[in-house]
Amino acid sequence: MIKKLTLLIVVILFLSAQQGISQEWLVPADKQSIENPSDYNLENVKKGKDLYMTNCKSCHGDAGKNNSLALVPLPPDIASETMQANSEGSLFYKLSNGKGLMPAFETTLPEADRWLLVNYIMNYSPDNTPVWVDLPPVKARLKATVNTVNRLVEIFAEAENKTGNYSNLTETPVNVCVERAFGNLPIGQVLTDNEGNAEFSIPENIIGDEEGFVTVVVSLGEDFEAKKVTVEKLKIGIPKETPKLIKKGVIWSTNENIPMWMLLSYLGAVGGAWLAIIYVVFQIVKIRRLSKE
Amino acid sequence: MEMNKIESPEESRKLLDKIVFDLTRSIVKKDELTRFWFFILIVFAGVGLWGWAIQIDQGLGVTGMRDYVSWGMYIANFVFFVAFSLVGFLISSAMHLLNIHWVKPISRVAEQVAIAGVALAGIIIVMDMGRPDRLLNVFLHGRFASPIVWDLTVVTTYLTISVLLFYIPLIPDLALLRDRLGDEVPKWKMKIYTILSLGWKGNAKQYKTVYHAMRVLMILIVPVGLSIHTVTSWLFAATLRAGWDTTIFGPYFVAGAFVAGVAAVIILMYIYRIRHGLQEYFEDIHFDKMAKLLVFVSLVYLYFNVNEFLVPGYKMKTAEGIHLSNIFSGGYSLMFWSVQISGLILPTILLLFKFFRKPLSLVIISVVVLATAWLKRFIIVIPTMEHPFLPIQNVPENFHHYAPTSIEIMITLFSFCAAILIISVLAKFFPVITIWEYAEEKGIDKKYLSEQPKN
Ligand code: HEC
Repeated sequence: MIKKLTLLIVVILFLSAQQGISQEWLVPADKQSIENPSDYNLENVKKGKDLYMTNCKSCHGDAGKNNSLALVPLPPDIASETMQANSEGSLFYKLSNGKGLMPAFETTLPEADRWLLVNYIMNYSPDNTPVWVDLPPVKARLKATVNTVNRLVEIFAEAENKTGNYSNLTETPVNVCVERAFGNLPIGQVLTDNEGNAEFSIPENIIGDEEGFVTVVVSLGEDFEAKKVTVEKLKIGIPKETPKLIKKGVIWSTNENIPMWMLLSYLGAVGGAWLAIIYVVFQIVKIRRLSKE
Repeated sequence: MEMNKIESPEESRKLLDKIVFDLTRSIVKKDELTRFWFFILIVFAGVGLWGWAIQIDQGLGVTGMRDYVSWGMYIANFVFFVAFSLVGFLISSAMHLLNIHWVKPISRVAEQVAIAGVALAGIIIVMDMGRPDRLLNVFLHGRFASPIVWDLTVVTTYLTISVLLFYIPLIPDLALLRDRLGDEVPKWKMKIYTILSLGWKGNAKQYKTVYHAMRVLMILIVPVGLSIHTVTSWLFAATLRAGWDTTIFGPYFVAGAFVAGVAAVIILMYIYRIRHGLQEYFEDIHFDKMAKLLVFVSLVYLYFNVNEFLVPGYKMKTAEGIHLSNIFSGGYSLMFWSVQISGLILPTILLLFKFFRKPLSLVIISVVVLATAWLKRFIIVIPTMEHPFLPIQNVPENFHHYAPTSIEIMITLFSFCAAILIISVLAKFFPVITIWEYAEEKGIDKKYLSEQPKN
């Protein structure tokens, strides 16, 4: 009897463990076969890629790089077999409804966008010829100086061309950020002109450190392999106000800021009590002296 | 106890001899039980000190205190001992100044309690520190505007005054011991009496000085005594926390302290009465009066309790409401209601009847009152800490609730044993009743006190 019970418990435990580890994500048959209303072409895949970059990359990582966030279960790479085993209808269903840590995008993305995302995922399907090819990043160089008088960031960019020489990088977005305690805060983007130059005018309302100093970071997008340019300690920001935590005038202030009446009351009370104590000690001495009379 | 002047010198001498004999028996007597008692106390205090050594070695992590509940059993003990000590102020100062004669034989007992309580209160603050070696920093870098600094100052001041108020009326008694005990006590003890009695002769000027110094101290101890417990209450009341953020905490603490202290004195009186056969000194009438005093201070305390709990309970402001429901009907309700009922309401009612004011029943009630007084301090300190204003999140489960660990219990054991040890030592060294004052009350002229015994 006990053996049977143990067996039963083991079986139940085993089954429930199984359940917990790999729960099949089932998609109803009618949903699986829904057709993607948007066409599979470069334009739609590119739009899908942009959506992917903002909404999905943080968890799923870069296509084909298997660098997704370490969640349980792991968000599959979109180029992986697991992901590509889904029909377009299933992909749409799954990303619309979500499961566990996978958010339901039904409420946050319009239906058309969700289908565009499916287009982007399908770009990595073994059955499709990819319309968008991720090129390896191009080697580039970036120069930036800051003119604190005109409040301008002057940028020059060049990139390696097919012959292996560097030439001006034209019509390319350059990101301008300011350094903050927990990372860089983007403050704008400019396009380079035909000569690879760009000028970015720094907004007036940038908050700096206590003295108004700001550190500017200039960088190129992910398609380029270029060192960021960091220009430190520029007097272009508004000084940061640091409100004093302990103001003058509060009773519980530090010794430097203590209200005079408080200090005097304390010292007066303590001093008074101890003077009286000393007086009593003198009385003890007196008692001793009186013994000799 | 009325002032019936005894005319004949023979009668006076005889009575004085008897009083001195009765009140010095406990000092002279050498018996197994006393030795065993000291042995037990020292062993247990030693065990507690060992716990403290572990805590110093490994840090405060060995306690149940964590980020949220950072005041635990030690602070409850601290408040308890401060409360316990305040009875010195009530009996040996306030009631003396009011010329209430029957408390005179009790004042030294009250002063014993005061010294033990406030000494331990001071030690417990240090035991609650993770780095006791940094105690001096409180004085060097403390803020004059911080209740912690005030508390430290007032604890030291009160301790000093209590010791002086114990010592000064003791001087004539020390002279009596010096003159009369002879070789009944070991030489070293006699030496202590001789030194401490300051060569007392018993002349009128000396008595005048003693009276004068006592009077200064009694008056001084009124503001200092009130301050010690009021400032202790401000440690809590000066915060914004639910349950502590109240304006009546000062008098509420003072009233509660009297309840605990009176109960403690009654227990000691009973022990001395039974152990040293002092039935004629701690008379039934003293117990009756002390019982009435206990009823009085309990009623005052009850009044403060009603204010302290009914008023916020009526409004149930958000944070206060969470705290109060936790106390009234939540996890602390059993403790809270048993404290209020068996520590306050029931004793008050019972002691209205003469039967319960008899020594034995009174002392049983007092033990209950004293034990619940400790629990009450626990309820004041811990539940509030478990409910900070910002939600507790992303912390291990054991941060949410507080339960004392065995180390904390060991250190608590130390503090109780040490307090009892101080009282026991004082009672073993010095008469538990001020002999000269008592003799005077009995109508014996002072001149007989300084007479050398004939034998
Ligand atoms: C918060 C992290 C997170 C984000 C953001 C996220 N996902 Fe997921 N995704 C997951 C996780 C985790 C899983 C695995 C769920 C499972 O199997 O239980 C998953 C699974 C999926 C699947 C199903 C794969 C399969 O097993 O069949 C698809 C499709 C998918 N995600 C698409 C997307 C798309 C498209 C986006 C952006 C619009 C996105 N995800 C954003 C975490 C995320």
